[in-house]
Amino acid sequence: MGRRFPLIIPLLLLALGARGGAEDLSAIEWETNTDDPPIGDAAARKGGEFRTFMTAYPLTLRIVGPNANDAFAAWKRAFTMALTMVSRHPTTDRHIPVMATHWSVQEDGRTIYYRLDPDARWSDGRPITAEDYVHTWEMMRSEHIVDPFFNQYAEDYFEEVVALEPHVLKVVGRFESWRPLDMFALWATPRHAVTLEEGFPDRYNDAVLPVQGAYVLTERVPGQYVVFERLKDWWGRDKHYMRGLYNVDRIHVRVIDDTDRAFDFFKKGELDYYSVNTARMWAEEMDFEALQQGWAHRKRLFIDYPQGVYGFAMNLERPIFRNKDFRKAIQYLFHFDEINSKLMHNAYYRQVSAFTGTEYENRDLVPYGFDPRKAREHLKAAGFTRRGEDGILVDGEGTRAAFTLSYGSKGLERHMTVVKQTFQRFGVDMSLRLLEPGTAFRNGLEREYEMTIMGRTAGLFPSPHQYFSTVFKESTNNNNVWAFGTAHTDSLIDVYRFDTDKERRLAAMHDLDAIVQDEAFYVPFWHAPFMRLLHWDHLRFPEFYFPKRTQQMTDWQVFWVDEDRRERLREAMAEGRSLGEDKVVDIDPYRVKDRIEAALRAAAAPE
Amino acid sequence: MIPRLDPITRLRLRRFRRIRRGYVSFLILLGLTVLSLLSNYVANRRAIVVHYQGEYFFPTFRFHDMATFGQQDEYGFDDVEADYAALRARFQEAGGGDWVWMPVVPFDPYEPDFSYEDPPPNPPDSRHWFGTDSQGRDVFARLLYGFRISILFAVALVFTSQAAGTAIGALQGFVGGRFDILSQRFIEIWSTLPFLYVVILLATFFKPSFGLLLVIMALFEWIRMTYYMRTEVYREKTRDYCLAARSFGASRRRLIFRHLLPNCLTPLVTITPFALVGAISALTALDYLGYGLPAPTPSWGEMIDQALDSQNRDKIWLSVAPFSALSATLVLVTLVGESIREAFDPKQYAHYR
Repeated sequence: MGRRFPLIIPLLLLALGARGGAEDLSAIEWETNTDDPPIGDAAARKGGEFRTFMTAYPLTLRIVGPNANDAFAAWKRAFTMALTMVSRHPTTDRHIPVMATHWSVQEDGRTIYYRLDPDARWSDGRPITAEDYVHTWEMMRSEHIVDPFFNQYAEDYFEEVVALEPHVLKVVGRFESWRPLDMFALWATPRHAVTLEEGFPDRYNDAVLPVQGAYVLTERVPGQYVVFERLKDWWGRDKHYMRGLYNVDRIHVRVIDDTDRAFDFFKKGELDYYSVNTARMWAEEMDFEALQQGWAHRKRLFIDYPQGVYGFAMNLERPIFRNKDFRKAIQYLFHFDEINSKLMHNAYYRQVSAFTGTEYENRDLVPYGFDPRKAREHLKAAGFTRRGEDGILVDGEGTRAAFTLSYGSKGLERHMTVVKQTFQRFGVDMSLRLLEPGTAFRNGLEREYEMTIMGRTAGLFPSPHQYFSTVFKESTNNNNVWAFGTAHTDSLIDVYRFDTDKERRLAAMHDLDAIVQDEAFYVPFWHAPFMRLLHWDHLRFPEFYFPKRTQQMTDWQVFWVDEDRRERLREAMAEGRSLGEDKVVDIDPYRVKDRIEAALRAAAAPE
Repeated sequence: MIPRLDPITRLRLRRFRRIRRGYVSFLILLGLTVLSLLSNYVANRRAIVVHYQGEYFFPTFRFHDMATFGQQDEYGFDDVEADYAALRARFQEAGGGDWVWMPVVPFDPYEPDFSYEDPPPNPPDSRHWFGTDSQGRDVFARLLYGFRISILFAVALVFTSQAAGTAIGALQGFVGGRFDILSQRFIEIWSTLPFLYVVILLATFFKPSFGLLLVIMALFEWIRMTYYMRTEVYREKTRDYCLAARSFGASRRRLIFRHLLPNCLTPLVTITPFALVGAISALTALDYLGYGLPAPTPSWGEMIDQALDSQNRDKIWLSVAPFSALSATLVLVTLVGESIREAFDPKQYAHYR
């Protein structure tokens, strides 16, 4: 086996090469985009060290194979390895060249040609060619990597990946898509350094391979830290879109297993950056010296990223939720403001739409507020007219207004007990049933519940088909957990999926959004359209802090370290001198806060 | 079934009473248990007695709406539960003959109290003696109701599992032979089942409840007792008095209940208090892990979970209450157990030759 293998690859390449040669490249209409602004800030300075943390030391440096999908993967991908050929500009959303200078999407919606950047070099100096992308595809399909996810992914997404010329690549997706550039993206794998053979996971477990990106991993002490260093002569440093990105010379990632402890490290000045994850910490612990003295800053940066579906889902197959009036009553009894103010320090915003944060969101929708009177009317209309012995409403046939909420998140239990008490006061009995998270998720997909808490992440484009289509209503094991769908909503979804006219697509989705709200089977919870971050004064950011579509700090390294300011900070701290407290906390470069709060004000205004 | 007190047992009880620390612990535990059985009259949102327009109401276990007492809430509803604290204030203001007798602690373990400026958990004050938890519920009320559940659960579990364990173990010892060998193998297999996984598994199919948890835990708890009873009966049945009774023609039933069981009681009595400790800890642990009684049931495990949450790391009252209550209870039960063991120790009469 081992002997035969080296023979096969050249043969395979020959065959592919021969096929590639038959293609007429001159007919391809190349596309590119040089018009958008750089992602980072031109004022950014190179140099310095950035100290941050991760909660666990990585089990491997591979990005495929066993244990590769850990929290550290985000670091590896962002800093070193997995740069795609084309990316979406995180602020304008348009495609921009990264590894490829030009691209061409064919009419079939699944064939794409890429012209790779001839300047692109591996960190060992060798050019990055189309063969390196073919190698990634081969790697993803290889059984040697021991990674069923990537095996399946390669199978489901890619029909073929062909190197037509050293710098021309052809990718054919498995299915038609209206955004094939996002759907069928690949990164490069150094063909000269990675061989696909038995024992791949062990062999490359700790191997530091040549990288495409601006950083290489230079130091690591298991259990303690890793260090990335910037390549001074990185091939991409002067590319238009890369200006102002990848600024710091050294990134020191320390292992601190507890985020609360990491906060203490930050306060001591041993970390440059800290992202605050809880409303409580943000509300109660922001009174430490460094902030008051202006040595460090705290910012709540509003970002514009779509929020997935998050809230109560009702199972329309269960008798009690077949009644629309009962569902509406539940909507009116959900007291978001109380939960937000009493349990979450008023930190979050109510979700209204099923497509929050996308342009398809219907911004005219007004949330169901807490309104016991309206709830009462709907409960009456649903037949629940008298109180039973225990104070729970009963209908004419003796059915109690009662149901079970099954959920998998213990963290939400305290919110749910408060909701339960409110429901109970107005005559509705909600029993709580905590399940093991996996079970709760599966029970949702299989519609084995009455009411559950559903949470999904969202991409830039909503996918109403999987949530609301009648196709999935008939079967289970899908995201149509509520068993919703009508011929009318199907037609609206089809407009969104297939219509080329954007106005019509928008109108259809706004209609769908309104119908989903009116049908009342989904009680949206809340969302946090912001990052809460703390940083020391020498860590500088562009005025906009992070690009619009940032989800985590590792996504785009637009920050830089200012050594002069570090010196100034050091002196100020030694003398105990204040630099003037930075009172500006909220940063809203993309007008997200404005938009959300205006909508809330409009909703709260009397009719 | 219960053997009449023979002189030796009476002697042992007298000796137990003489061991003061055990006896006092026993009385305290008994008192706490009685108090917790009366929880609904000690800590409750509902009044104990309401005297209104010449009529008496006892709302502790009954739902009375606002209309009954001519109340209305802020939405104009009169069919929601009556607000007895407000009623009491109203009656006091009005003078007249109407009155409300509220429990000492006018909070139940479920209703959040959001009347504070700061979000919960709120530190102890005159309103909430032990503070409120992260949902604004009264910690004292939850502690009290939680104790009731713990102790009732533990007693019920220990009773069922000890009864089953005694019966099965005694039967093994008495019948012996093939039955003993087969049942012993079954017990060995059964005891290797991972208890926690079974609970988690069953929790996905059935909604956890007091009864279900009791059954599941009893299914695993009876085993330990069989070992002791089996050996005891094996030994006792070959003793001379047993043979004598048999030769007098004692029926099998008389042999078991009159002669064997009373003489095998020592391990049962001495182990029971420690089984109680085990049961309380087990329920607390399950609740802590989230596989115990469903929220919002007041439970010590859930309180400990809140106390250990990093969100509450500076809310010291959340940990003080359940931890001291749990350790106090366990110490008391252990003291009782130690004393019983001492009182029942046969070695006091042993004559070594």
